[in-house]
Amino acid sequence: MSLAVLGASLAVVAAVVPGYRAAAQDETVRRGPGVTAVQRLSEWFPGIGGTGGDTDVYVLDSGKPGATALVLGGTHGNEPAGYLTAILIVEHAVPTAGRLLVVPHANRSSLTHTDYQEASPRTLEFQGASGRRAFRYGSRATNPTDQWPDPDIYVHAASGQQLSGAETRNLNRAYPGRPDGTLTERIAFAIVSLIRAEKVALVIDLHEASPEYPVVNAIVAHERAMPVASVAVLNLEFDDITIGLEPSPKNLRGLSHRELGDATGALALLCETSNVSQGRLRGATDARQVVEGTDDKYLRAAGLGRLAVPFDEHGWPIKQRVGRHVATVMAILAAFTSTNPGTPISVSGLPSYAELMAKGLEPFL
Amino acid sequence: MTVVYRGIVAVAIVLVVAEIFSQRSLKLKINAGLVLVPLVLRALMIG
Repeated sequence: MSLAVLGASLAVVAAVVPGYRAAAQDETVRRGPGVTAVQRLSEWFPGIGGTGGDTDVYVLDSGKPGATALVLGGTHGNEPAGYLTAILIVEHAVPTAGRLLVVPHANRSSLTHTDYQEASPRTLEFQGASGRRAFRYGSRATNPTDQWPDPDIYVHAASGQQLSGAETRNLNRAYPGRPDGTLTERIAFAIVSLIRAEKVALVIDLHEASPEYPVVNAIVAHERAMPVASVAVLNLEFDDITIGLEPSPKNLRGLSHRELGDATGALALLCETSNVSQGRLRGATDARQVVEGTDDKYLRAAGLGRLAVPFDEHGWPIKQRVGRHVATVMAILAAFTSTNPGTPISVSGLPSYAELMAKGLEPFL
Repeated sequence: MTVVYRGIVAVAIVLVVAEIFSQRSLKLKINAGLVLVPLVLRALMIG
C-alpha cells in the first residue's frame, strides 16, 4: 500500500510537470520584414547569460541615419498589451529612418509563472492569420525559482528607498540595477548597459494598470522627455485617443521613467493602458476577461464613480489596449523626430489604432 | 542559496517518504503522499 501511495504521488507530479515546462518555453516571435538581427541581452551584460532573465533583443535597422529607440515589452509578465505590442512591432514594423531595438520580454522570467492566489490564466490564445497563436500570461515579478528568497524589506540599492520584500523581484523597481545584485537587478543593469552601449536616445516601456489606478491610459515621462511626450499626447488627442501625461516623480525610485532618464542619456517614457484583469475589484479571472477586457464588477464600480477611466459594457479589450500602445509608440517616434529633425526615427508597416479596433489583433498575428 | 533550498527540500522529501512507509493508517499515508507532491515539484525547481 505504501508503494501505491508513493507511486500515486509521483504520478501526479509527472502529470503536472509538462504544463510547468511549457510555461518555460518562449512563444514564437516571427522575424518581421524590418528585423535585421536578433541578439541576446546578455551580449551587453554577460552576467545574465544562461539565466531565466536572458532574453531576445530584436534589431530593426533602417540603414539610414537617425537615432536609436528602445521599446520594452514584458517588464511585467501579467501586462499582455505591453508584450503583444512589442511582438507586433517585431513582426510588422519596417524602419524608414534610424534604428529600433525591441525587447518583447524584458523580464522573461516573469512569464514563466503566475502570481500567487490570483487565479491568472496560463495562456492567451488567438486564431491569428497564420494559425493559432498562444501567448503566456505571467506574473508581475521574476519567478522565485530564479530569484529566492525575498527579503522582508526591499532596499533599492541606488537610493536606499524601502519597499515591501516582494518588490525585490519587480524589474520596474530595480533600475538602474547592479552588476553583482539579484537576477532582477542584473536584468535592469543589462538593459542600462544596452542603452549606454547602443547610444539609445529614446526608451518606451509598455505597461498596463488596473482601471482604478490613477495613472492609467497615460504616458509617464522623465522631465527631459516632457517636450516629446507633450507633442505625442497632443497628436494622439487629435486622433481621438485620449491619453494623460504624468511627470515622473523624482522621489519614486527604481522605475524606468525615472532611473533610465537619470542614469543614461535616453529620454525615458512609460505608457499605461487599462486592464481589468490586474485590478482588485475584478470578478472571476480567466483568459476571456484578459482578452475582452470586460467585467461586471468594474461596470458597477464605474457606476459608483470609483474608476480612473471611462468604463462601459465594452470594457477595454486587448485590441484597444494594443491599439493604444501602437498609436502611442508611433506618436512618440513622430514627436521625437519633429523635435530632433537631425536624428529621425520612423517606422512603417504597423496597423493603425482604427485598423486594430475594426479588425482585432487576429489578422496581424 | 539554491543549493541550500534544494537541500532542505531533499531532507523534507526523505522524511515524508519515510512517513509514507512507517505510518500504519492509510489516511495518514495518503496525507503524506499529498504533502510529497509540492515538495518534489520544488525539488525540481518548478513553480
